[in-house]
Amino acid sequence: MTALVVLQSVVLVVLVVLVSGLLRSHATILRRLHELGAGTEAPPTSRPRPPSQLPGPTAGRPASLPAHDISGLGLDDGAVAVRVVEVEHDTILVFLSSGCSTCGAFWEALGQPDLALPQGTRLVLVTQGPDREHVTLVAELAPTHVPLILSNEAWHDYAVPGSPYVVLVDGPSGRVVGEGTAPTFEQVLSMLGRAVDDAAHRSRLASHRGEKAKADAAREAEIDDALIVAGVRPGDPSLYRSVDQPSAPDEGAPP
Amino acid sequence: MHLAAHGFSIDLPRGWEGTISRRLDAVAARSAGAVGGAIPLVEEQVLPVVHLANFGLPGDRGDFGSGAVEIMGPDDVFIAMLEFGPECAGTALFADTRLPRLDPSKFDRNRLQRTLAGQSGHQSWYTINGRALGLYAVLGSHGLAGKLVPRVNEVLANVRVAA
Repeated sequence: MTALVVLQSVVLVVLVVLVSGLLRSHATILRRLHELGAGTEAPPTSRPRPPSQLPGPTAGRPASLPAHDISGLGLDDGAVAVRVVEVEHDTILVFLSSGCSTCGAFWEALGQPDLALPQGTRLVLVTQGPDREHVTLVAELAPTHVPLILSNEAWHDYAVPGSPYVVLVDGPSGRVVGEGTAPTFEQVLSMLGRAVDDAAHRSRLASHRGEKAKADAAREAEIDDALIVAGVRPGDPSLYRSVDQPSAPDEGAPP
Repeated sequence: MHLAAHGFSIDLPRGWEGTISRRLDAVAARSAGAVGGAIPLVEEQVLPVVHLANFGLPGDRGDFGSGAVEIMGPDDVFIAMLEFGPECAGTALFADTRLPRLDPSKFDRNRLQRTLAGQSGHQSWYTINGRALGLYAVLGSHGLAGKLVPRVNEVLANVRVAA
């Protein structure tokens, strides 16, 4: 009988040590997760930002190049300076020519008053300077409601390979986040729209992850309650001992 | 960035953009006769207009910023400088010969070309190097005049007008 009681006591001690180790391990995991920011409310996201490869990356060019503010001439031989770096909005730069056949569809589309631009973006048209462009023809083609700049420098700064060419600049970071071309401006807008939708989807996923982290927090609170009921309070040495450390002789002994 | 055209020269502070332009005769530009030649300017107004702003200026704007002032936020500032005909130079209205250093008291909600809630404006006239100029400035929020007017002054200090 005595042997049986002793055996039970030994088994109980072993079990208590194992459970303590398990709880401590769990507490450590939760603490680390909190240190990493999990379980905290995600900061309110501003509008979704398009990802870095739209409207389409150009092969062989590094992603996310620094953008440049644009200055050049207006159609009336005046001066124009447009800020695209360190501004709140994003900028869609459309590099066009008066002569290229594909550009014709762009000029026509850009003449529409209601361009369905992604929210928070600004459209700016850029042609080459008067020495390389038929300015009068550009004046004929250009919509009045969209800023237009004649700037060889901008074409050089953005290494524009030809026209039409579209560059998307992230205003706050001042970096090129997408560039490429498409047969029509509608297709460019469609790609930009999808980019915004994708970004919104990722934002929703992120908030969903936030909910999961809250579930972890609830579980943690539940475990804390159980520990407190069992007499294990915050800072209890048993929470900070590894499994292989021997327990105190009287610890875990049956009452 | 630096803007220079039509005798105006401006070093833009960080965050500002602008244009120096003359009004195009869009109808004439679209006519067949205009192709290949110089772009005609509107007959009644060929004098330069300077627009400066710390927000994105839309393409289609009136001389006094209509089209732009409507999209201004509270922290935004719009400045227009319009040249008047040489007959105005040196007249009583255009007697001042230097661009001012403004203070918030110079702005008033009743000095707007178009009254918009919260905004206030300033207008004054000058003759600089023989050229008659009108200055028109709009604050996105009159309540923030203490913060915004120094920004106006910073820009005006960098404006040069040639004879």
